Amino acid sequence: MYAIGTLRIVGRLLRRNCASFLTNSSYSQFRLMASGNSNKCKVATEAHDKEDALLSDVFNLTMKMAVSASRNRDNPVVRFKTPEVLERELNFGLSTDGVDNSELLHICEKVFENSVLVGHPRFFNQQFAGLDSYGLAANIVLDALNVNGHTFEVAPVLTMTELAVLKHMQKFVGYEDGEGVFCPGGTYSNMLAFNVARIKRFPESKAKGLYGLPKIVTFCSQQAHYSAQKNAALLGYGEDSCVAVKCDSHGKMIPEELERKIVETKNAGNVPLLVTATAGTTVLGAFDPFNKIADVCQKHGVWMHVDGAWGGSALVSKKHRHLCAGVERSDSFAWNPHKLLCAPVTCSALFVKQKGLLNKSHSLHVPYLFQVGKPYDESYDIGRKLVQCGRRSDGFKLWFMWKAKGDSGFEKVIDRAMDNAQHLIQALKKRPNFRVLDDEPEFSNVTFWYIPPSLRGRDENEEFYKDLAKIVPIIKHRMQKKGTVLVGFSPVADRPTFFRMTCVNEKVSYEDMDFVLDEIERCGADL
Amino acid sequence: MPGRGEATTSANGLAASTHTSDHTENIVGGKKDSSVESFLKSVYDLAVKEGWEKAQDRNELVVKFKSPEELRKVLNIEVEDCPASHSDLLQDLKDVFTYSVKTGNPHFFNQLYAGIDPYGFAGQIVTDVLNTSIYTYEVAPVFVLIEQYLLKQFCEMVGYPDGTGTFPPGGSYCNMLGMNLARFHKFPDIKNKGLFSLPRMVAFASCGSHYSNKKNATLLGLGLDSLISVNTTSNGKMDPVDLEKRVLEAQEQGSVPFLVVATAGTTVLGAYDPLNQIADICEKYEMWMHVDGAWGGGALFSEKHRHLMDGLHRSDSVSLNPHKMLMAPLQCCMFVTKHPNTMKNCHTLHVPYLFQQDKTLYDASYDVGSKVLQCGRKVDAFKFWLMWKAHGRLGLSDRVEKAFENSRFLIDILQKTEGFKLVTDPECTNVCFWYLPKIMRDTDWNLRDEKFCRKLASVAPQIKERMTKKGSMLVGYQPVGNLPNFFRMVVINDKVTREDMEFVVQEIDLLGSDL
Repeated sequence: MYAIGTLRIVGRLLRRNCASFLTNSSYSQFRLMASGNSNKCKVATEAHDKEDALLSDVFNLTMKMAVSASRNRDNPVVRFKTPEVLERELNFGLSTDGVDNSELLHICEKVFENSVLVGHPRFFNQQFAGLDSYGLAANIVLDALNVNGHTFEVAPVLTMTELAVLKHMQKFVGYEDGEGVFCPGGTYSNMLAFNVARIKRFPESKAKGLYGLPKIVTFCSQQAHYSAQKNAALLGYGEDSCVAVKCDSHGKMIPEELERKIVETKNAGNVPLLVTATAGTTVLGAFDPFNKIADVCQKHGVWMHVDGAWGGSALVSKKHRHLCAGVERSDSFAWNPHKLLCAPVTCSALFVKQKGLLNKSHSLHVPYLFQVGKPYDESYDIGRKLVQCGRRSDGFKLWFMWKAKGDSGFEKVIDRAMDNAQHLIQALKKRPNFRVLDDEPEFSNVTFWYIPPSLRGRDENEEFYKDLAKIVPIIKHRMQKKGTVLVGFSPVADRPTFFRMTCVNEKVSYEDMDFVLDEIERCGADL
Repeated sequence: MPGRGEATTSANGLAASTHTSDHTENIVGGKKDSSVESFLKSVYDLAVKEGWEKAQDRNELVVKFKSPEELRKVLNIEVEDCPASHSDLLQDLKDVFTYSVKTGNPHFFNQLYAGIDPYGFAGQIVTDVLNTSIYTYEVAPVFVLIEQYLLKQFCEMVGYPDGTGTFPPGGSYCNMLGMNLARFHKFPDIKNKGLFSLPRMVAFASCGSHYSNKKNATLLGLGLDSLISVNTTSNGKMDPVDLEKRVLEAQEQGSVPFLVVATAGTTVLGAYDPLNQIADICEKYEMWMHVDGAWGGGALFSEKHRHLMDGLHRSDSVSLNPHKMLMAPLQCCMFVTKHPNTMKNCHTLHVPYLFQQDKTLYDASYDVGSKVLQCGRKVDAFKFWLMWKAHGRLGLSDRVEKAFENSRFLIDILQKTEGFKLVTDPECTNVCFWYLPKIMRDTDWNLRDEKFCRKLASVAPQIKERMTKKGSMLVGYQPVGNLPNFFRMVVINDKVTREDMEFVVQEIDLLGSDL
């Protein structure tokens, strides 16, 4: 790639009659030369050529510094610098006049150098990771099309591909005649579910608002994603209206507790509107018992929403889809393919079982955009179903990846992530100086503590784990500074801070898992 | 050099053989890295040729229209169980380009965005490949700093010395933030308690304001009826006298007025609301003033046109979509507020798995995700920053001024050409006009005549259908209030020339004179 990239740059320079400067073909040499001379080539007709060249150079740089770089485990995941240092190194300042191409390329190079390589096999920090080539390719196509996904009129192909992939996903969810939309993030998907549930229950509230209604209450497990509270506040129910239901030791919602809370709410004269059940909690990766929750919801007439942002992808695997058993009984389902399916950030979908509800909840008469009398069926104007107006067509990326990989390709991604997690948990159990939170995690999150030399041999009581918790950030930050591994940490309920490894990237091997544990031991050896 | 993890057998012997060999050969989905790289290269070349080079060629069609049913047939749209080959995928992508609308074509005037900026495009590729989410400094160090820097610049331009903000996904979302902050500012308890025990709150926006204000009022639990529509003067600007009247009415009914959304560049007519007069009323009645500058806010970049937004610094929050007039790639939207802590106080939650307080390497205030509503968020700032670097503020200003000049030139021709009639005298770069086919030109112009209006209303859709099928250009149309369907030309793309403006007028005449 490197050689090809240089050749292309050389070719372009030749066209610009700058051949005399080309005594050395190395990239940095080119940069030095270009910064000295490209200013002289400012002829109007060359503007287009200049823009062309920049695009091509940036693409080549991208291939080298992100695509290839992510593949080589010897490259750091991150070259950590504090905000202050980074500010000095990168010339962020903007001014009245523009800078030339060579300066821009230099900037892009700095950006790559100082950014986190989420595609690196040692990146375990978030619930997204990896760099899918087909997703990337589709993203580049979207960039070139630069079109808004709100109407068929301006986005005919993107509309059709989004509808096709939503239909396909919906089969996995198990809704027979539902519908779906893509949203800018999982928090947003959950928000739409909150809104649709409310308008279904109180249709007049679309116009009248919540005034005069009894107090609306929503439920989720203690370990559900924090968007449940944020959305409750945003939609006017208030954070306090979001009731946290107790979990068992694996982090699963206890359905009896849910029912107790629902009954309490009813007795207080309030309205239990919606339960968010989670498929794959953020920290522990737990799956709530969907069938039992569905029973409770049915009995009490409560909307059941499943937040499958993280774990929804298990549906694609024949081996693991049992984790989601019962989700087909829900009323809505949120699923982020940008997590475990490795679609580029962001790619989030929301499915609603009852067709037409999205439209009923969100559509307005908008004569300038959704004109009546278009030469096609207006239901193809997806924007009618949404709260947004402008929207990037995130579904296209997933459609293209699905084309490239097929169900079977995605199935491998999931199975591999689960397999890696299993390997990691076995490896942890074999090492004397690690403790796991859960012996048998359901999903691809693996959570654990490391016991450094100074804490070994102690009684493993509450105090002991509190001390282990203090070690976690120290080791993480050492690895971050070295750039060898990025891994997250968190406390949960009564368990003090621990490491959270998330297995996502299909390029991660068993050896990478072992490497992480070795590295933690190395970084903690003096603690 | 082999990576540290690439030993062929693992220490505990657990490795399944397919698993390790898969990884050492770097085969994913049955395809080798080298072939994946050449595939990416082919896609890039295709994207540049189709999306960038051809987009600038006026001889190319703006759209090759197919109905959804036809399109489903010509596109190989079904996703299947088995993987597709690279050559099939490339063919699919060629079809995608063929049947997509070329928004970069200088004859695309259909929406409030158009054109393609090469630096924005390049910046977009960089963030695509880095594929991170901008919630913490930990995973997006460079982008957090760039985003903060840009927002600071924008605050300075607006006149918020201590302002703060974010890049939300879309202009509707920006307006939603404005509404949510306004409500929180009035009743901070609402965050925890909801609005059940509060008096009815009402917001105001002109009848020409964007429809997202209505959607947001519903979403936030206030209800559509809580968004009160304010009359406009004849050129589409909010009438401050009517605003004050309606505020007083609402108060008399026991409601609490909490927000006025002023628009800088309305969607259809391109009107700029009188910000200073609105600010006076907001101050008097203690209402939050949000300025929706999604479309017309681009004028801030031009010394010549920024006067359109005089009084902007008196507002409480502002949004601007650089993906509209400034031609940043979709999406790119900025929201800023004057009040440094309101966003944080309104949105922050204690989230120990993401925004750890025991981070030691940097100050937690750089974890920008804690002050927004979303969790994961795409990086939209970088492409705009790179464009600004490349063009300088002057370059962006030139772009805005060129769009204004082109639109003024268009107005000139429309006034001189038989069969065209302007709807208003535009302030922004949207130019709205009716076209009269030959047969209608002898009839008296009378918008009170129902028959005349019906006939007039049918003209734009028919011409639009013809131009879509021909693919020569795309221009939008709509009615407004009692005004029957008229064309809305939106001039943005800096590749657009005076000849293109003449072309539009001739083409409409050509397509519609026989109606």
